[in-house]
Amino acid sequence: MTETHQVVMRFDKLRRVEHWLLFISFTTLAITGLIQKYPNNAVSLGLVALLGGVQIVRILHRISAVMFVLEAIFHFVYMGYQLYIQRKKASMIPGVKDVVDAVQSTAHNLGLRKEGPKMGRYNFAEKAEYLAVIWGLIMMGLTGLMLWNPIFTSKFLPGQFIPAAKVAHGLEAVLAVLAILLWHFYHVHIKRWNWSMVKGTLKREEMEEEHALELEEIEKGEVPAPVPAHIVSKRKKIFFPIAAIVTIALVALLYAFVTFEETAIKTVPPLDELGTVFVPQTPTPLPTKAPTSTPGPQTELPAGPLTWTTGIGGMFEQRCGSCHGAMGGLSVKSYEDLMKGGKSGPVVTAGDAANSLVLNKLVDGKHPGQFEPDELEKIIEWINAGATK
Amino acid sequence: MVQPKRTQISTFTPVLFLFITLLIVAVIALSGTQAVSADSGDAPAAQLPDNTQCLLCHSSPGQTKEFSNGEVKSITVDPQLFGEGMHSNVSCQVCHANISGYPHPENTATTGREGTLQYKALCQQCHTVQADELMDSAHTKLFEGGNLNTPTCADCHNPHADKPFDKVEDGSLTGASHARIAGICAKCHSTIFEEYATSVHGSGVLVDKNPDVPACTDCHGVHSISGPTGVSSFRLTSPNICAKCHTDATIMDKYGISTQVMKTYIADFHGTTVTLFEKIDPDQQTNMPVCFDCHGVHDIRRADDPEKGLQVKENLLSTCQRCHPDATANFPDSWLSHYIPSPEHAPLVYYVGLVYKILIPLVLGAMALFILTDIYRKVFLKRKKNMTKGNTKVIDEPQQSTSAFSQDSEQGKE
Repeated sequence: MTETHQVVMRFDKLRRVEHWLLFISFTTLAITGLIQKYPNNAVSLGLVALLGGVQIVRILHRISAVMFVLEAIFHFVYMGYQLYIQRKKASMIPGVKDVVDAVQSTAHNLGLRKEGPKMGRYNFAEKAEYLAVIWGLIMMGLTGLMLWNPIFTSKFLPGQFIPAAKVAHGLEAVLAVLAILLWHFYHVHIKRWNWSMVKGTLKREEMEEEHALELEEIEKGEVPAPVPAHIVSKRKKIFFPIAAIVTIALVALLYAFVTFEETAIKTVPPLDELGTVFVPQTPTPLPTKAPTSTPGPQTELPAGPLTWTTGIGGMFEQRCGSCHGAMGGLSVKSYEDLMKGGKSGPVVTAGDAANSLVLNKLVDGKHPGQFEPDELEKIIEWINAGATK
Repeated sequence: MVQPKRTQISTFTPVLFLFITLLIVAVIALSGTQAVSADSGDAPAAQLPDNTQCLLCHSSPGQTKEFSNGEVKSITVDPQLFGEGMHSNVSCQVCHANISGYPHPENTATTGREGTLQYKALCQQCHTVQADELMDSAHTKLFEGGNLNTPTCADCHNPHADKPFDKVEDGSLTGASHARIAGICAKCHSTIFEEYATSVHGSGVLVDKNPDVPACTDCHGVHSISGPTGVSSFRLTSPNICAKCHTDATIMDKYGISTQVMKTYIADFHGTTVTLFEKIDPDQQTNMPVCFDCHGVHDIRRADDPEKGLQVKENLLSTCQRCHPDATANFPDSWLSHYIPSPEHAPLVYYVGLVYKILIPLVLGAMALFILTDIYRKVFLKRKKNMTKGNTKVIDEPQQSTSAFSQDSEQGKE
């Protein structure tokens, strides 16, 4: 069944493009902002990972912020064009009628009034939303630029303004997003799907409910006559230079603000400040050791002729016997064992103490067992005298 | 002529005998308290030569070994320390397996370090868990990279003298053990130790012997110690190390320290970024500050330290300026010093938040109320109307066309 409707042209192409620019930048700002506000949330973590990390999220947030502000600049310049050159009515300005309309609408909803109020081109619900966007633009723009330039900001304002701006920025975002989800979605998507930002038109019955006054004006033919061409061109000569200067100034200001400060956003590799970590303590010097004898009491030094049996054997037993004779190799347990020598051959060269291994082993002090100096003298004497039994 | 005596013990002089007696007493006293989890330690001990044979020489003071590079190392074992130490019931030959008599087989090590490293693989025979942990450590990685100075077991634990670390009933280390650990790391990291000794943690460990206060291993790990330098994952996870104690009210309440430090850190830009990097991109190189960037790495002072504390505004500013060189005197206040905004601390932040906490429910509540009335009319009043009027008359719209109207076929367009 083909049903034809009367439709009213509501938004020209430029207005619709504006809306979609706003839609893209606002949505991107909302998503990339809220996941930063709630970074520990599982959804946030997933989205940050999906977008390629928090740095990319922040860059996206800033790009869409710039886009949002550029759109706002365009909007106000275009508004100036419409108001000054086309002399259109400033139909977005709220007034007493809007308060009355809101009350009457509510009363009508509650069944207290038969008819709803007749409303103009922009009804109170739309004006509220528009004003909210303007308020949001100012709040978010100011706090956002403060957060973007914290060092510059704190040159003029107390440092506490930065965290305060952060709180305001975050909570204003929550307010804006929830308001869009509640107010905007209800009025243009849930109550009825409004196609005017796609097609540019509204159906007659939609107009009747929401913009009855405007519809009446249209139907009565109370449309303001187009401004004559010569007046338009005259006004353009005044408007365009001013608009150009204002636009350039605002864009330049925006550019200055978003490129001014780098240290707040730049992520650079950390400095490795630890330096050399391996700095050993100076070791405690080892005690310089004078050769000391194998622990044990001094044996009585032999008096008279030096022979193995008259004391030399006793000294060997005392100082060397606990190893040599118990562990294989050289044994000092008897005169014969000593003279036989060990694995390195004979250790005593009779008559030549200087070439006797048994003494040479001891000279550097490294051998674990040692004689007392006076004992050593007697041993040298004994070997030089022929090392007799 | 003195008759050579048959048995070993009979040759002991009284002084040596005293050493050995001490040793045996210590062995008896300490046997059964060994905590080594391995099963290979005890069995061979009985069959191996008595340690007294070795100690006969190696207990005498000043025993040294000279390596071919001229380096001299002590090879004296203090029999008393050994007897009281953790290995008192382990035969020397369990580790020094190649030595069974004198002269000892020639040691081919050319340097003292080489001499130590000969014993590198021995400890794992019994201490398998710790050896496995060590394999994952930064020290092992450095060693495998050719740095022979990196410690093996014996560099930290003297196998001939060390006792087990003192612990309290719940198994945690005593304050004295914390101090002992710091002393061990100091052997190689002396400059870091000196810094640490001046810190609030260092004085708590070294002076007060307070077991609540971290020694090196509490932050860096014990055997599986991970390298803090050049590894971004250490930087990114490091706040968790501090948070382990600093969010624990049972410890912090004793000293009146806030446990909100981690929460407030994460809530701010620095902490948010670090947390997100840690969770999503742990290898991200970043200069975003973690705890130690502001509070110090090893020279951590109290916030109210009159000399270096961050409560001194100039100290905080110079800390900020390390990353934000243009920061001026107001800038440090943009960080709330771990305070949760309140009318006393950061009132502006607190009241801005408060305004929004009132504004948001007011605005949304008003919107919701209006929407509810609209739904009420659309759903209930319409139904009521339908019920009273019966069938609603469908009014055909007059098909007028004015200049402002255009025709639009719904089906045609969609």
